[in-house]
Amino acid sequence: MTAYLLRRTGQAVVVVIGVMVLTFALIHFEPGSAARATLGTRATAERIAVFNAANGLNRPLPAQFVTFVKQALQGDFGTSYSLHQPVSALIAQRLPRDALLLGLSILLALAVAVPMGVYQAVRRDSAADHVLTVVAFTLYSMPDFFFGLLLVALFSVQLHILPSQAPQAVSVGGILADPRGLVLPVVTLTLVSLAGFSRYVRSSAISTLAQDYVLVARAKGLAESQVLRRHVLRNSLLPVVTILGLTAPAIVTGAVIAESVFNYPGMGLLFYQAATSKDYPVLLASTLVVGVATVVGSLLADVAYGILDPRIRYDRD
Amino acid sequence: MPLLDVRHLTTRITTGRGTVRAVEDVSFTLEAGETLGLVGESGCGKSMTGLSLMGLLPPGGGIAPGSSVRLDGRELVGLPARELRRVRGNDIAMVFQDPMTSLDPTKTIGRQIAEPVLLHQRCSRAAARERAVEALGLVGLPQPRRRLDDYPHQLSGGQRQRALIAMALANEPRVLIADEPTTALDVTVQAQILALLASVRARLGMAMILITHDMGVTAGNIDRVYVMYAGRIAESAGTDRFFHDMRHPYSQRLLASVPRLDQDPLGELPTIPGLPPDLLDPPAGCRFAERCPYATQRCRTEEPVLRGEHGHKFACWHPVRGPVPVAAPRRAPADATAPGPGTATTGDEMSATLPAKRAVSARGPGQPARAGGPLPATTTAVERDEPAPAAGVPLLEARDLVREYPVRGARLPGRARRVVHAVSGVSFSLAQGETFGLVGESGCGKSTLGRLLVGLDRPDAGTVALDGTDLGSLRGRALRRRRRDLHMVFQDPFSSLDPRMRVGAILREPLQIHSVGTAGEQRARAAELMAEVGLPERGLDLFPHEFSGGQRQRIGLARALALTPRVIVADEPVSALDVSVRAQVLNLMKRLQAAHGLSYVVISHDLAVVRHLADRIGVMYLGRLVETGSAEDVCERPAHPYTAGLLAAVPVPDPAAERAKRGHAPSGEPPDPVAPPSGCRFRTRCPLAQARCADEEPAPRAFGPGHAAACHFPLRAPLPEQPDAAGVVPQVPTK
Amino acid sequence: MTATDPAPLAEGPPAAGSPTGARTPAAGRGLGGPAVALLRNRRARAGLVLIALVALFCFAGPLFYRTDQVTVHLDLAELPPGGGHPLGTDANGYDVLGRLMAGGRSSLELGFAVAVATTVVGTLYGAFSGYVGGVTDSLMMRVVDTFLAVPGLVLLLIMVSMFSPSLGGIILLLSLLSWLSPARLVRGEVLTLRTREFVQAARMMGGTGPRVVLRHLVPNAAGVVIVSATFTVADSILMLSTLSFLGLGLPPPNADWGTMLTGGLDFLYDGYWWLVYPPAALLVLTVVAFNLLGDALHDALDVRLKRT
Repeated sequence: MTAYLLRRTGQAVVVVIGVMVLTFALIHFEPGSAARATLGTRATAERIAVFNAANGLNRPLPAQFVTFVKQALQGDFGTSYSLHQPVSALIAQRLPRDALLLGLSILLALAVAVPMGVYQAVRRDSAADHVLTVVAFTLYSMPDFFFGLLLVALFSVQLHILPSQAPQAVSVGGILADPRGLVLPVVTLTLVSLAGFSRYVRSSAISTLAQDYVLVARAKGLAESQVLRRHVLRNSLLPVVTILGLTAPAIVTGAVIAESVFNYPGMGLLFYQAATSKDYPVLLASTLVVGVATVVGSLLADVAYGILDPRIRYDRD
Repeated sequence: MPLLDVRHLTTRITTGRGTVRAVEDVSFTLEAGETLGLVGESGCGKSMTGLSLMGLLPPGGGIAPGSSVRLDGRELVGLPARELRRVRGNDIAMVFQDPMTSLDPTKTIGRQIAEPVLLHQRCSRAAARERAVEALGLVGLPQPRRRLDDYPHQLSGGQRQRALIAMALANEPRVLIADEPTTALDVTVQAQILALLASVRARLGMAMILITHDMGVTAGNIDRVYVMYAGRIAESAGTDRFFHDMRHPYSQRLLASVPRLDQDPLGELPTIPGLPPDLLDPPAGCRFAERCPYATQRCRTEEPVLRGEHGHKFACWHPVRGPVPVAAPRRAPADATAPGPGTATTGDEMSATLPAKRAVSARGPGQPARAGGPLPATTTAVERDEPAPAAGVPLLEARDLVREYPVRGARLPGRARRVVHAVSGVSFSLAQGETFGLVGESGCGKSTLGRLLVGLDRPDAGTVALDGTDLGSLRGRALRRRRRDLHMVFQDPFSSLDPRMRVGAILREPLQIHSVGTAGEQRARAAELMAEVGLPERGLDLFPHEFSGGQRQRIGLARALALTPRVIVADEPVSALDVSVRAQVLNLMKRLQAAHGLSYVVISHDLAVVRHLADRIGVMYLGRLVETGSAEDVCERPAHPYTAGLLAAVPVPDPAAERAKRGHAPSGEPPDPVAPPSGCRFRTRCPLAQARCADEEPAPRAFGPGHAAACHFPLRAPLPEQPDAAGVVPQVPTK
Repeated sequence: MTATDPAPLAEGPPAAGSPTGARTPAAGRGLGGPAVALLRNRRARAGLVLIALVALFCFAGPLFYRTDQVTVHLDLAELPPGGGHPLGTDANGYDVLGRLMAGGRSSLELGFAVAVATTVVGTLYGAFSGYVGGVTDSLMMRVVDTFLAVPGLVLLLIMVSMFSPSLGGIILLLSLLSWLSPARLVRGEVLTLRTREFVQAARMMGGTGPRVVLRHLVPNAAGVVIVSATFTVADSILMLSTLSFLGLGLPPPNADWGTMLTGGLDFLYDGYWWLVYPPAALLVLTVVAFNLLGDALHDALDVRLKRT
C-alpha cells in the first residue's frame, strides 16, 4: 500500500508540473496579445511595450515561468487585467461555489446511476434495460447548453416554478439560503454525468455478476437481493471509484457550460469570461487550479480505491 | 429410502444459438455416507447436473417437467424459491473448482464462512464466528482464529480451497457436491484436499457427489461411478466393478487414453477419434456412435436404454467386456496395436482423411531420422548448414542457470530489494533425439527455466549452450540463426495463436521472419505442416477460434516445426486439453519426434504425462533440480523424498493400486520463492528433515548411472563417492 | 465444464467425415464473426440505419433540394415553415432545411476527420508506449495525463480565443485533444497483449519490435480502437456544438448545427420553434446513433473499454 501511494503521488507531482508548463506555454504562445486585449487592438507599439514591461512580459519565457511558479507557490497569481482584482481573491471567492455545485451534482448523479446501472445489469436485455439504455444515451448525446436551456424553457418560462438565474450570493451560505436557484444548474450537471456513470456501473456489475463468488453466494442460500447487496455492489463499485477521478475533466467542461447558461458565478464562468477577454493572469491561474484539482481528484480516487480494495490495502510493501 | 433420489433429471438451457440439451434423463440415488462420482469430459453435463440439484441454473436454464430430485423424500424440483434457498448451503452445499475466483475478494474469510451460518441458523454474530473457527479447524487450516480476519488474497490456493470447503461444511450439510474441487490445484495439494474431503465425509456422515474428469481421482475417492457423455449417463457401477468390468466403449476408451504412471509407456496411447456432439443438436440414437468403433446402423437410429443389473448399468447396444488389455511390451512400435474389438485403435480425429502421414510415422521411436530424413524435399528453402554434432557434446546444455526477478513495486527507499528466486543454479543436458521431462509444483521455476532455454528470458547467471555454443554470447544474425533450432510449444492453445491471423499466416510467420523461401514455397511448407500434424489443408484459411483446443495445439506444434528445429521446449503441452484429446496430442508429439529426430524438453506438473513422453526426468523444487535420472529410475526408484512424495500424490486410475498406495504426499505447500528456506529448500515439508538440512545445502550424489539426487538423507543408498564426482553426475547443480 | 461454456469443441473445422462438418463456424474473432454479431445487435442496427439516413440527408439531400446558403437575405428572415421553405428561414434569411444539410456535412466531416486523425496518432503512440515500457512508457503516459488533467474545453477555449479557426483548424484542435483517450486505451490493451503467448511466440521466433507491434499488437487492439473512434465521432460533433454555443464555432458563412441551435435558442421563448428543434433533433439523433453503434461494437468486439 505504501509503495502504491508513493508511486501514485509521484506520478501526480509530475503531472502537476506538466500542467504548469503546458498552460504557461499555451498562454504565452502569442506574446503581444495580452497587451492588445487590454489596451485595445489599436494600441501603439510604444504603449504595448510599456504594458509588457510593467507586467514583466518582456522578459525571457523561462524567467517568466520561474517567477510564475514562485509566485504561484505563494498563492500570488497577479492581478486580473479586466477585473482589476487579485486573481487569488477571485478564485478563493469562487472555488467554494464550485465545490457546492459540482459536489451536489456528482452525489446526485451517483445516487441515481448506481441503482440504475445495477438494475440494468440484473435485468440485462430486458425491455427496461433497453429503455434505460436509450434514455442514458439520449442524455449523453444532448449538448449541455441545450439541455440547460430546455429546462429553463420548461420550468422557468412555461411553468414559472424555478428561477432561470442561479443565485448570485457571494458566500456558499447565501446560495444555500435560496436553494431554488440552484436546482436547475444542479439538475443539468447531474443528468449530463448520469449517463456515463450508469453505463459504467452497468458493465461493471455485469462482469461482477459473472464471477464465481456470486455463484458461491447463491449456493450458500442467499436471496438474490442479499447477493447483490453483499457481494455484487461493492465489487462492481470499486472500479467506478477510479472512473470518478477520470471523469473530472468532463465534469469541469459541463460546469463551464452550465455556469454560462445559468450565470452561476463560479470558476467556469470566470474562466469563460477570462478566455473571451484574454485576461491572461486569470486564465493561467484558473487553468492551473482546475488542472491541479483534477490531478488531486484522481489521486484521491486511487487512494480510495486502495483503501476499499483489500488486495491493495494489505499488499506487503 | 435413499437420502438423495434423482429421477429423470433433464435440464435445458436456452441461448442465443438455440436450446442446449445439457442434461438428459439422469437418474441416480445417493445414501448417507456414500460418495458418488459424476465422471466425464468438458461439456458432458456433469457440472450442470450438480447445479441442477442446487437449483442454480444459468440464465435461460430450466429443469424440464418430469424431473424429480428428492432429498429425504422431499421433492426439490418446483419448490418455491424461498424454500429452495433454505436447502441451499444448509442441506446441500457445493464446493467449486477454482478457489482463486470463488471467494469474494473484498470480504474476510471469517465473514464469508459465517455468512451461511447466520443465514440458516438462529444465532448471534459471535456464535457464527465461533462456528467459522470450528469449520476452519475441521478443514485443517492452522491457527484458524487468526485466519478469520484474512482476506482471500492473503491465502494460498490450497488454503483458499480449504476455506471454501469450510464454508460449505459450516452448516453440516447432508449432501456435499464437490465440482472438480482439485483440478486447479497442484498434485500434492490435490492429495491433501481429497484426503480432507474423505475424512470430513466420514466424520459428519455426509453423502458426497464428486464431479471429476480424472480417472485417478475416480479410482481412489469414489464408491459409485456414473460416467456421463453428452448429457447422458453412459454407464454406472461400483468403482471396483467399473474399473474391472466396464461395458460401455466410451468408458473403456476414456480409461485407456490416460497416460499411466504405474505402467511402462506404450508406444502410443489409444485415443477416441473425433469430438463430442454439439448439445444444441444432439444426434439421434446413441450419442457416442460417431466416435465408437463398434457402432452399427442401430446405434445411429435407436437410442440405447440404460440397462443391466446388480447396480451395473450401461447404455449401449454393443457393450464391451472390461478395460483395454494393457499387457503390451515396453516401447512397442507405434503401429503394433492392431485395431479390433476389445482393443483400441490408435487413430485420431483426422487420420482417416490423411493416410499419407502413416508412412511417416511408421518409423519407430528412438531412431533419429533427421539426417536425410523425411523432411520434405519440396522445401529446398528450409535447408541449411547443419553442423554435425561433435561426439560427447550434448545437443542442448544448461549450466548453473540462475534467474531472479524483482518483486514488483519493491523499490522502496530503505528496504532491501526483494527478488523471486525462480531458478537457482540448474544444470542439465539433452542429447539428440532425447526427451527430458521437467516436473514440479506450480511456482517451482520450471516454466521460467523453459523460457530461459528458448531465449524468451535471459539468465542472471549461467549459460544455455546449443551444440556447445553459448547462446548468451550470440548477437544479431548469429543468434537469429540459432533460434531456428530452438522452439517452444505453449500451454494455452487459446492464447498461443494470434486470434486475428489465419492459420496459414501463423504457420508462415516463422518462415517470413527468417526470410526462408519465396511466398509460394512458404505456402507449400504451411500446407505440408498441416498434413504433418494431421489437419486438413483447407484449415489454412480458417482462424484459430474455428478449431478445437486439441486442434489448436496441433497448429502450435506445426508452427514449432516450421523451421525444422532440433529442440522443442513444450510447456504443459496438454494440460489444457480433455483426456481423449490429450492422448491424440501426446501421440502426435511422439510421432513427430520419431519422424524428425527431435529432442524435447517437456515441462509439466503431470508426472504421468512426463513419464509417458520422457526418457529422462528432472524434478524441480523451488528453483532447484533435486533429482534427475532415467524416467524409470525416477518413477520406480526415487531417491529424493520430494520425488517419492510427488509420486505418492499422483492418483492412479486403478482402485486396487490406490488402496495399496504406500508413502505420503508432501504436506503443506511450497514456501514463498522470495525467501526460500536455508539449506535444503524442501526441508520445511520433508518428513525426514533434520538439523543438518537447515544448515547445509545437500550436494547432488549419484544413485546409479545418470541418476542423481541432492539430499542428505536419501531414500536409497547412494553409490560410493568417487574422486571425480562431477564426472558421475554432470546434470546436477554443483552450487 | 458446464454446458454454458462457449463449447470450443463444438466448433471444429469442417473436416470430411467429422461430425462437425456441416456446421458453420460460429461468431468469433475472425473478420466475419464480429460483423455477424454486430448485425444481430439491435442497438447496432438502429445506429447504422440512423447514421445512413443522416449521411444521405446531408450529402445526397442538396442534389434534390438546392438552396442558397451564402447570400444573406434579410428580407426573407425568420419566415415560418411553408411556401418555398418547408422548415422556414433563419435570422439571415437562409433556408433552414438546406442549412441543416450543409451544417450536417461539416459536423460529419469534422467528426470523421477527428476520429481518423486521433485514432492513427493515438494508436501508434499508445502501442509504442506500451510495447517499449519502462521509463519511456512512464514519461509518455505522464504527457497524456497532463493533457487529460486540463479539461479539453479549457484548452480549446484558450486556443480558439487566440486563433479563431476555420473548419480545418477546429479539426486540428479537437484532434489534439482527442488522441489521448485512444492512446491510453491502446496502451492498456498492448500491456495485456504483450504477455499473451502468441506475442511471446513471435518474439521467440526472432520477430522484430515493429513486426510484433504491427502484425500482432495493433490488429488485436483494433477492437478497442474501432470502438473508441466511433465514440470520438460523437464526442467531436458534440464538442463543436458546444464551441458554437460559446461563440467560438465555425466562422460564417459556414453552417453547423451547433451555431444554428444557439442562434435559434435566442428566439426559443418567442415561438420560433423551427429554428430550435430541427437542428437539435438532428444533432442529438446523430450523436445518439454513433454512441449506440459504439456501444454495440464494444459488445460485438468484446472489448473492455473504460470510457473516459
